[in-house]
Amino acid sequence: MGLCFVRSSLIGAKASGIMSESPEPGRLVYTPKELLSDGEYAEPLYAGGVLCHGGFESDGAYRPPRTLHRTPAIAAWQGQIGAGGGELVTISDEQVPPQYPSVDQAKLLLKAGVREPIVRALTVISILEGFGAIIRDVRVPDLKELLLEPFDGTALAHLDKGLFEAHARDEAGYRDQGGHKQMWEAARDLALENPTVPSDVFMRLMGDRGRARGGGDPLFPQLDKKLYRMLMMMSQVLVIEVFARGTFEWGIDVLSDPEVSAEPEKAGTMVRYIQADESPHVEYLRTGLSEIRTRTLRTVDGKTIAGREVVDGILHHILHRMRESRPREQRDDTRNALIAAVDAGEAKKSLLEDFDAMAPEWDRPERTGFEPQAA
Amino acid sequence: MNGLTRLYRTYRVGTTAARLWSMYKVPATLRRWTGRPERTNEELEPVNERASAVLLDLAFDLRGVIIKMCQAIATRSDRFPPSFIDQLKQCHDAVPSKPFEVVKVHVERELGKSLDEAFHSFEPEPIASASLAQVHAAVLHDGSKVAVKVQYPDIQEIVQTDLRNMRRACRIYEWLDPQPLELLPLLEELAKHISYELDFEREADSADRVRELFKNNDTVVVPRIHRELSTKRVLVMELVSGTKITEKNAILEMGLTPRDVLQDLMHIFVHMIMADGFFQADPHPGNLMVTPEGRIIVLDFGLSKELPDGFGLGLFELMFSMMTLNEAAMIKAFTALGFQTKTGDTKTFVAIARRMMRRSDTGRFEGEFTEEMTDELFDAIREDPVVSVPSDFVLVGRVFSLLSGIAHTLGHRANVLQAMGAGSPG
Ligand SMILES: Nc1ncnc2c1ncn2[C@@H]1O[C@H](COP(=O)(O)OP(=O)(O)O)[C@@H](O)[C@H]1O
Ligand SMILES: [Fe+2]
Ligand SMILES: [Fe+2]
Repeated sequence: MGLCFVRSSLIGAKASGIMSESPEPGRLVYTPKELLSDGEYAEPLYAGGVLCHGGFESDGAYRPPRTLHRTPAIAAWQGQIGAGGGELVTISDEQVPPQYPSVDQAKLLLKAGVREPIVRALTVISILEGFGAIIRDVRVPDLKELLLEPFDGTALAHLDKGLFEAHARDEAGYRDQGGHKQMWEAARDLALENPTVPSDVFMRLMGDRGRARGGGDPLFPQLDKKLYRMLMMMSQVLVIEVFARGTFEWGIDVLSDPEVSAEPEKAGTMVRYIQADESPHVEYLRTGLSEIRTRTLRTVDGKTIAGREVVDGILHHILHRMRESRPREQRDDTRNALIAAVDAGEAKKSLLEDFDAMAPEWDRPERTGFEPQAA
Repeated sequence: MNGLTRLYRTYRVGTTAARLWSMYKVPATLRRWTGRPERTNEELEPVNERASAVLLDLAFDLRGVIIKMCQAIATRSDRFPPSFIDQLKQCHDAVPSKPFEVVKVHVERELGKSLDEAFHSFEPEPIASASLAQVHAAVLHDGSKVAVKVQYPDIQEIVQTDLRNMRRACRIYEWLDPQPLELLPLLEELAKHISYELDFEREADSADRVRELFKNNDTVVVPRIHRELSTKRVLVMELVSGTKITEKNAILEMGLTPRDVLQDLMHIFVHMIMADGFFQADPHPGNLMVTPEGRIIVLDFGLSKELPDGFGLGLFELMFSMMTLNEAAMIKAFTALGFQTKTGDTKTFVAIARRMMRRSDTGRFEGEFTEEMTDELFDAIREDPVVSVPSDFVLVGRVFSLLSGIAHTLGHRANVLQAMGAGSPG
C-alpha cells in the first residue's frame, strides 16, 4: 500500500525532510517527544495574522506539523502489517457522501449575496475541527492484558505515547500555534472578508432534541469497556476524517473561486494545508485499527474474540449510520439557514427553489464493505 | 416590618459573627501565641458541628439573604467540612415554615378570593420552605394537583433590611482591608437577583420560555404554570414528583444510571447557556429532580437570565484557549466576554487562566469548571483588583460549579465540552 500523506500534486510538499535529528525509516519505537516533533522549518505558517502549526521548507513546500518522525513511523508500522499478511482497513471513496451544500449551491448563494449559510457552514467546520482535540482524553486500556498477541513497535503501542496528542494539537492548536480550527477560521475570514459569525451556531450544533444516550446497547458487551470506548472513538474519528475528503475539495473549490472569494489564492491554499495535515490522522487510525484486526482480544467473561470481528462490526455500524445522518444534518442546517434568510427578506424565494434544484444526488452504495462475514 | 425587627436582625447577625469568631479565630490566635500547633481537622470537628448549628439557627430564624448564603455553603463539599454540608443542606428545602393561618390570609389577599373558592383542597403543611417562599400542595376544582409557591408575607422588607446590613458590613470591610475585594458591586448584583426572585410573574414567564426551548426534548420537565391563579407573590403550578438529583442510591433503585442522568442534566444546562442564551441560573440540588422514567425536572425559575449575544461563542473560545494553552486566544476570549483590566495589561488574564488550570484535577483544562477552579478565579481576581468580571460570567461560573458539585456527588464529572456533543460515541 503506497503511502501518500501529502498530496504533492496539489501543494508540492515533500513528506521527507533532512534535518539535524533525521528520521530513520523502518524504526518502530518512538518517544512521545519524537512523535510530536516538527524538525525545523525555513519559515512558519501564518493564517490571517495568527501563527499556525506546520511550516515551509527552504524550497517553499509546506510540510505538516509534527511529522518529522510521525510520517516514517506510520509508514514503518503499516509495512509491518503487510509483512505479516494483514491488510490495512480501507474505507472506499464511494462511501463518502457528497458535501451539502454542493460547490454549485454554495456559489449560487454567495453570488446572490446570501452569505450567512456559508459562513455558518464554515464556522461549524472550524468548531468541529477544534472538538477533535478531545481525542487526547481517550483513555487507553492496558492492552497487554487485553491482547493475546504482542504489539511492541506498533501504532497501538504509541496511541497514548504521542499519537493522540499530536492529533489533538493538529486539530485545535497548541500553545501559541493555531491548528485547523484557526486555519479554517482564517480561510473563512479571508475569503468572505471577516463576516459576522452567527451567534447561534451552537443551537444548530447541539440540536434541540435530548441527547441520544450512548447510542443504545454496546455492540460488543463482552469487551472491556475502556477498550470498546477507545475503538468506537477511533472508528468514528476515522470515518469523520475520511468523509472530510469531500469537505476539503469543496472548501478549496469554493474559496479559491475569484467570483465568490475575496482572497482566492490565500484562502484556497489554507484549506490545502489543512488537507495535507489530515493524512497522518487517517493513516495512524487505520493502522491502529488494522493492528487490532490482526489480533485476538480477551473478553471480560474469560473468552476471546477475533479483533477482525470487532473492528469490522464497529466500522460497519458507524459507517452505516453516518453515511445517512451526515448528509441529512448538513442539508437541514444549510436549508434552515437559507429559509431563515428568505423569511427575513434577505433572500428571494426563487433562490431557495434554484438551490433545491441543484441538490447533490448520491447513490449510496448498498454495502459498507465491513459487513459481518457469513459464518 | 417595624424598627424593632430591623434592630433584631442586625443584632442577630452581629452576635452570630462574634460567636463564630470566638470559636475559630480566638483559639487559633491563642495557640499561635503559646506556640502550640494548629488544631487538626479531627479536633475541629466538634467545633464545626457547633458552628454549623449556630449558622443554621441564624438562617432559620432570619431567612432571606442569610439562607441564600448558607445554601451556597451547602453545595461546596470541597471547601467546607462535612458537618457544615450536612446541617446547611437543610436550607435547600427544610426551613421551618410559616403557620398555615398566615399563609391562608396572604394567599387570599393576593388572589382576591377565599382559599375555598380558588382551591378544592389545600395542604396546610408545606412540602418545602426555603429562603423567600414556601410551597404547599393543593388540588384545583378541576382535580388537577398543583404546587402553590407563596412568598413569605413580609419578605420584601426583610430582604431590604438584610441588604442594608450587608452593605454596611461591606463598607466597613472595604475600609479595614487594604486591598479590598469589590464586594459592593457584587452585593448590588445579589440585590438585583433577589428582586428577580421576588417577582413571580417574571418567574412564570421564564418557566414558560424554558419549557418552549425544550419542547422537542423529552428529557426535560418544566412544571406548567396556572396563570389565572398566579400573582407577583403567589405562583400556582403543576405538582411534579421525583427523586432529588443528588440521591445516588435512590436513582440506582429506580433502575436509572447516574451517568445518564448527569449527561442529560449537563446537556440541558449547557444547551441553555451555550446555544439558547437564556438560562435557569440556580441549579442547586433542591431545584432538580429525576422522575422514574429518567426525565429531569427543573424547578425554580426565579433566577433566570438572558445572556448577551455571542456569550456562548465567547465562552467556547475561552474554554478552547484554556484547553490548548493558547495565550493569545485566552486574552482575546476574556476580552470578548467583557473582562477588563484597569491598566490595560492583558497578561493578567493569562495568569488567571493558569491559576484556574492548576486547580483542576489533572492540572489541565479538559472541559470541566470545577468548584475549585471557579473559586480560584475569584481568588485571583481578589488578589489582582485591577480586573473586573462581567456579572453574567459570575452567574454562569456558579452554574457550572453547582453542576460540578452534583456530578461529584454522583461519582462523575461535569464536562462542558463533552455536553456540547463532543463526547465519545457509543
Ligand atoms: N411544581 C412543584 N411540584 C413539586 N414540588 C415543588 C414544585 N415547586 C417547588 N417544589 C418544592 O418546593 C421547593 C422550593 O421551591 P422553589 O421554587 O425552589 O423555591 P425557592 O425559590 O424558595 O427555592 C423545591 O425544592 C421543591 O421541593
Ligand atoms: Fe483537522
Ligand atoms: Fe483530523
